[in-house]
Amino acid sequence: MATVIIAGLVFGLMALVIYHKIKAHKNGGSACGCGCSGCTSAKNCHSKSL
Amino acid sequence: MTIKIGLAGNPNSGKTTLFNALTGATQYVGNWPGVTVEKKSGKYKKNKEVEIVDLPGVYSLSPYTLEEVVTRNFVIGEHPDAIINIVDATNIERNLYLTTQILELGVPTVIALNMMDLVRKNGDQLDCKKLSNLLGCPVMEISALKEEGIDAVTEKAVELAKQKKSQNFVVPVMEEVQSALSQIEKIVESNKINHSLPKKWLAIKLFERDEEVIKSLGLSSLVKREVESCIAQCEKLLDDDAESIITAERYAFIGNIVANAVKKAKKGQDTTSDRIDKIVTNRILALPIFALVMWFVYYISVSSLGAIVTDWTNDVLFGEIIQGNVQSFMESSNVAPWLTALVVDGLIGGVGAVLGFVPQIMLLFLLLAILEDCGYMARVAFIMDRVFRRFGLSGKSFIPMLIGSGCGVPGIMASRTLENDKDRKMTIMLTTFIPCGAKLPIIALFAGALFGGASWVAPSVYFMCIAMVIICGIILKNTSAFAGEPAPFVMELPTYHIPSLKGVLIHMWDRGKAFIIKAGTIIFVACGLIWFLQSFNWSLEMVDADTSILASIGNVIAPIFAPLGFGDWGAAVATVTGLIAKENVVATYGVIYGIADATEESQDLLAMIAANFTTVSAYSFMAFNMLCAPCFAAIGAIRREMGSVKWTLITVGFQTITAYLVALIINKVGSAVLLGGSMVEAAIAIAIVICVITGVLLIGKSKLKSSQSIGLEG
Amino acid sequence: MKNLKEVKCGESVRVTKIEGNGAVRRRIMDMGITKGCDIFVRKVAPLGDPIQVTVRNYELSLRKADAEMIIVD
Repeated sequence: MATVIIAGLVFGLMALVIYHKIKAHKNGGSACGCGCSGCTSAKNCHSKSL
Repeated sequence: MTIKIGLAGNPNSGKTTLFNALTGATQYVGNWPGVTVEKKSGKYKKNKEVEIVDLPGVYSLSPYTLEEVVTRNFVIGEHPDAIINIVDATNIERNLYLTTQILELGVPTVIALNMMDLVRKNGDQLDCKKLSNLLGCPVMEISALKEEGIDAVTEKAVELAKQKKSQNFVVPVMEEVQSALSQIEKIVESNKINHSLPKKWLAIKLFERDEEVIKSLGLSSLVKREVESCIAQCEKLLDDDAESIITAERYAFIGNIVANAVKKAKKGQDTTSDRIDKIVTNRILALPIFALVMWFVYYISVSSLGAIVTDWTNDVLFGEIIQGNVQSFMESSNVAPWLTALVVDGLIGGVGAVLGFVPQIMLLFLLLAILEDCGYMARVAFIMDRVFRRFGLSGKSFIPMLIGSGCGVPGIMASRTLENDKDRKMTIMLTTFIPCGAKLPIIALFAGALFGGASWVAPSVYFMCIAMVIICGIILKNTSAFAGEPAPFVMELPTYHIPSLKGVLIHMWDRGKAFIIKAGTIIFVACGLIWFLQSFNWSLEMVDADTSILASIGNVIAPIFAPLGFGDWGAAVATVTGLIAKENVVATYGVIYGIADATEESQDLLAMIAANFTTVSAYSFMAFNMLCAPCFAAIGAIRREMGSVKWTLITVGFQTITAYLVALIINKVGSAVLLGGSMVEAAIAIAIVICVITGVLLIGKSKLKSSQSIGLEG
Repeated sequence: MKNLKEVKCGESVRVTKIEGNGAVRRRIMDMGITKGCDIFVRKVAPLGDPIQVTVRNYELSLRKADAEMIIVD
């Protein structure tokens, strides 16, 4: 039982992350290591605002 | 109805600080010119109907640099309702030069005099009323840092915007110039040229032969000739060229204003900035001080303070507390062993290995933020310009590389500020050599595992990277694609100031937060995948890591790295997963060596690494991972900025080959000298490197020439 | 007649003309080095180039190659 719950949790989280990354990517988001708020050229990275 | 207000001003005049204060944003502020490249907008905190746009800092509205064009196009093309022109009161003459150009555009403008507290501290006096009368627009005192007077300025700008009272300002000029300007104005009028801009401004721009304006107006050749004859006549009369005449007139006008409105207390005394500069940019001391400062930054963040905290987070927090408790919890609730292994070894082991380095990363970001904020970095550009010019780059190229020490992506983006296309391409190719924040854990891990946390390791890796920037720069410069004159280096050296605690902390947190988020997302998923690959074989049976899918893939790649000293499958896989994000190198080791359930005592990551490397192969591994192809995000940025797939491939290939050769030399020569390895192999390695360099130079001279005309245009 | 490159450290000079053309020249003028203004040559960078000057009450650095374009007396 615990196996099912935890497996669901872990794989659910992974799916969520992948889904979000793909969505962000479609919006032109970049996977760089810096937050957009601290970035000097955020506007160059993505056409649509995130 | 929304009201759009633009913030314009010189670089480093406090625009972004004001923007942050007005909108509650946390845009990055640095004490060097050219931090903001693109304009950014936000809503005014106290009135959501007011949109505030932070424009890149510019000295002038000439058509020559990207920032200037961005600013000018905003004011001309996007019709802001008002402009707040921030003027650094300590540097009023040069700041007002831009003001004269903004006022001419006719948009309602308020001048915000920033840093008046410093002016008063120097004992100088500045008469706002007089200034306001002479310029014909409201002038108000503010302190962007202390957030004083900023609302009053904004309200004034809103008020002006609502009145739609356009500015009617012209720089008074000599009679000869005035008559030429009037003539041009008449020509424009009589030809019924379509435009929405003030006529007087157009006349001045045409007089200056501003190409952007001439192009946008689409003048016929007849009109052009007429205008040209006016200009030529005036130039002959004054024995100077048009651009120079107008600039001199502007500064003469400003000289008058300053003489009227400003009273200087005393002259000739050295300021604190001067005194600091005497030491910091001293002929003999400057370079050693720079080396010492960078050594100190990396020593503190990687070796001393940072290492102590990281040891705790790695061993105690993630190793014992989290990993241990999760494991016992899962075992006691009868979770399937494979899932326990996935969560404990894979996810916690991998992500934990990365998160364990957060204290070190934060410390590095904090120290870099302090250095950037206080004004030292502009001096570094000043000191390094001569070195950079040896390979045809200006000291300005140092700024993208500096930003690159946080993260390569904005570093690559920042190369946009370089005027010259060849410079830009070369800077992009070299920027990611500088170790970014994500590469720091690699250094820290190996410094701790094999060098006992020796203080020289981290700084030496950093200086090796700088050396490679310089060496590769010289080699590239000698290929015909990059040969040519270096771009000019005319740069302001800003006054030093004590960094604000708030600003520095915000900056550190912003960068650090992104690092943590990345660990929780990309690295999290990658760890799951790596765990799966290293736990199963091709027939999907759970096996030992050595016979897993990952090992079989790794074993195919590993021979490539064998000459570099790290030919085992683990190192090969770690290097390849590093392409997704450089943190993955550490995460991969965390997963592979995190076999906690194999023995009772928890396996120490550092000990496992130490067992698999020698000091020489560890250094070679670090060098390779610092210099080789950056992560996908950075490669994407390179592609965007290069604008061509071909140049992206050239860049990535160039970086990887460089990394390979450097690691080869380190391994072979290092083994021969330190570990009693074969001298013959060391000699062969050196010979190979020499051959490759000569080869690149020979091919580069001929082949790149043809690609240059096709590729460089993008 | 000499150019700014030939001026020694610690000397003050007045600009008489700016030679050259295009972006660099405009940049130099935009930064406040115009006909008739005073320039104080503060120092030379450790490796001999660029130079640091004080102009219109602030510090500016420029290369010797660019300083050559500035004629002073």
